[in-house]
Amino acid sequence: MIKIKKGLDLPITGAAERRISYARDISFYAVRPTDYVGLVPRLLVAEGERVSAGDALMCDKNDERVRFVAPVSGVVKAVVRGEKRKLLAVVVEREGRENAEREIIENGHTSVTDRPSKDETAATANFQLSTFNSQLLKEAMLQQGLWPMLRQRPFGTVANPDDMPKAIVVSCFDSAPLAPDYDFALQGREQDLCKGLEALASLGAGCLYVCFRPGQRLAGVVGQYSPLHRNDVKVVFVEGPHPAGNIGTQIAQLCPINKGERVWTMTPQDVAVLGHWVETGEYRPERVIAVAGPQAKNPQYYRIVAGACVEHIVRSQLLNPDYPALKMADESLKQVRVVSGNVLSGEKIAFDGFIGAYDSLLTLLPEGDYYDFMGWLLPGLKKHSFSRTFLSGFMPEWKGLNLKFDTNRHGDVRSFVFTGNFERVFPFDIYPLQLIKACIVGDMELQEKLGIYEVEPEDFALCEYIDVSKTDIQPIIREALEKLRKEEA
Amino acid sequence: MFDGLRNFITKIKPNFVEGGKFAWLQSTFEAFETFAFTPNTVTHRGSHVRDAVDMKRAMITVVIALLPALLFGMWNVGYQTSLTAEWWPYEQGSAASWWYCLWFGFLRMLPLIVVSYLVGLGIEFMFAQIRHHEVNEGYLVTGLIIPMIVPVTTPLWQLALAVAFAVVLGKEVFGGSGMNFLNPALVARAFLFFSYPTHMSGDSVWIAADLWGSDAIAGATPLGELAAGSMPTASALDMLIGTIPGSTCETSVIAILLGALVLLVSGIASWRIMLSVVLGGGLMGLLFNCIGANAYMQVPFYYHYLLGGFMFGAVFMATDPVTSAQTNVGKWIYGLLIGAFAVLLRVLNPAYPEGMMLSILLMNSFAPLIDHCVVARNIGRRAKRAARKEVA
Repeated sequence: MIKIKKGLDLPITGAAERRISYARDISFYAVRPTDYVGLVPRLLVAEGERVSAGDALMCDKNDERVRFVAPVSGVVKAVVRGEKRKLLAVVVEREGRENAEREIIENGHTSVTDRPSKDETAATANFQLSTFNSQLLKEAMLQQGLWPMLRQRPFGTVANPDDMPKAIVVSCFDSAPLAPDYDFALQGREQDLCKGLEALASLGAGCLYVCFRPGQRLAGVVGQYSPLHRNDVKVVFVEGPHPAGNIGTQIAQLCPINKGERVWTMTPQDVAVLGHWVETGEYRPERVIAVAGPQAKNPQYYRIVAGACVEHIVRSQLLNPDYPALKMADESLKQVRVVSGNVLSGEKIAFDGFIGAYDSLLTLLPEGDYYDFMGWLLPGLKKHSFSRTFLSGFMPEWKGLNLKFDTNRHGDVRSFVFTGNFERVFPFDIYPLQLIKACIVGDMELQEKLGIYEVEPEDFALCEYIDVSKTDIQPIIREALEKLRKEEA
Repeated sequence: MFDGLRNFITKIKPNFVEGGKFAWLQSTFEAFETFAFTPNTVTHRGSHVRDAVDMKRAMITVVIALLPALLFGMWNVGYQTSLTAEWWPYEQGSAASWWYCLWFGFLRMLPLIVVSYLVGLGIEFMFAQIRHHEVNEGYLVTGLIIPMIVPVTTPLWQLALAVAFAVVLGKEVFGGSGMNFLNPALVARAFLFFSYPTHMSGDSVWIAADLWGSDAIAGATPLGELAAGSMPTASALDMLIGTIPGSTCETSVIAILLGALVLLVSGIASWRIMLSVVLGGGLMGLLFNCIGANAYMQVPFYYHYLLGGFMFGAVFMATDPVTSAQTNVGKWIYGLLIGAFAVLLRVLNPAYPEGMMLSILLMNSFAPLIDHCVVARNIGRRAKRAARKEVA
């Protein structure tokens, strides 16, 4: 049992209720290179081309074995490019009938399209784990396009298949604000999860740590699964406020990363996808996402296929009784920020954007584009602050206060003045302010000495939240890590 | 009404941006605009939601924490004069006299505060404009602290010079708030102390003789009496409450502790520093008690808390986050040494009756070194861990 003391839980309203529906009317799915840190993609399809679920859309230019595949069968609708022709997304328009999500997930892809049988490839062959050797499994995962689900620390990139990590860590709970409860989200897929963990353990890549919150139902299920009763699989309980569920926090406690070392990680939903594939040979990129946040009228869980376009979900969540949602003016959509992931480290996407490759949460936040008269002076009953400089900080219960969370920055950028606060929400044996400053000045040697390999931007999200000087810390850390990664390569 | 003001600001704003008629006032305009309205900026990169606290809120919290000491200081300025001035119009101890003490003190303090803010903020605004920066809020606190730690009879031109010196050489040359390594308020105090020693120390600067001017009534501070080798005439209780001569707002330990409460509850100042300064001073005082070679050494150790600017320094000056140590371990070392040096200077150095100012300035300059050593230990630990792995 690991106890995390430092951290902070944000009392944001609009947590998802324990209810799952199939998302409806989704016809576009995307694979986005920008979801993968540092990826240089090579496009493998052209606009208008027909693809089947599991066909590669692009691959890593530096390692063509790493393939990124279509989550559904259909036609490549668009290849979206940005500045300097940078590839931003490959969009696939699904083929088939109305309630595609349900059909895909309940019956598998083959029922939706007349996709050619792929039994000849190793990827879809139905093998037994016991006959796996790690090399075969690796190759099969690469072939099937499951490999990008494995990420590595440091740098947060897709794992390099040639590396030998010192451990694999899977965090089966998410402590971030409004995060989905995996006990609920993975209901009915427990067997897939266990199977997936078994597959990870047989990758032969160091110890497999599986982290749970104390009292989590999934922990019991995983604990009873006998193939996981082996020396190199450890079930760990982590207690405490956010960021207890962050993979970085757990790695720092279990197996801190030294220079040159690698730790791999996978989200529990991806583990279940892996497990399902291992069990049945079928690639089924099913995902349950929580849709939550102050702007969600009806916060709940949705069952989708990875890479889904969120437009219909967003519109139905902004439903105003007076308005039929789908006719809502796009203007009022601009008053809402759609975040793929959590409010601290998620990514802002367009209301008709696509869910991130590793995200299981869609947060709908009000935009904070307003002026606050004498905001620095008034008591502030609706404002949340880690410091107790507002009246709200003296109220006994955060919950009853209905604190206002939006995207307003609440002040201007200044130089760092206050100290000692970051340490209170940063459960690492690292000096956060000193590391941030080393990143700002670009002193790579000092960054290494101060432990940059042990962190990812998301580990600094709470520091960034509470920062009085309003510095954007996460981009600073990402840029520093990217420089180091390129140096190393 | 707010909407009207907002619309007005939005309307005149184009004049103050690049290319506008008054572009040279851009920083000034921004300062006033953001003073009235927290801007509508939304987050772009990184965390989508942000804590409601910003630099303005944090600084105003410190100002609020200073208010008890400021109000008591004003009253005490009047009270000290009322004790000795023959012209005092009201009978001692009457309610009218009590209110007149406050009024008198207010009138005496007002010019000091106004000069400090005018000169200091004037320079800050100028620098901000030249650098195309925003005006920093740090001076809201510094500008109030400076008049609170000088004798009430300080001539205004001296104060103005000290403020200018402190803001330019103590802060702006390093890049403004957040970049300085010496506490600017103490730089101003030190400037006054070394440039105009006759106005800053001795027995005839602490009590204003009348409403205007720098004439003073003779009256020694307890600290001065101790330095001269005699026990203070004021009782410990008087010193605790603060009804003694001294720098304007540093005398009342109770009022300062009220401010400390505000700072600690809000989490703005470091409890580690406050506690360690007090511990450091107490330990050094106890050590001197054990030696007991002269009268000053025999003064009960807790007297050091009641005397002079010890508590004011511990609560409001040593805790300045920019110039103090930044690591938690470093804060303990930094605070302990400030407390110890302050008492050491008081007892052993006859040239300076008060050791707090120099002690804090000294440790300000050592704070980066302390932090360096603390961080080096963390670096060493990490290097060792990596080495252990390689061997294994």
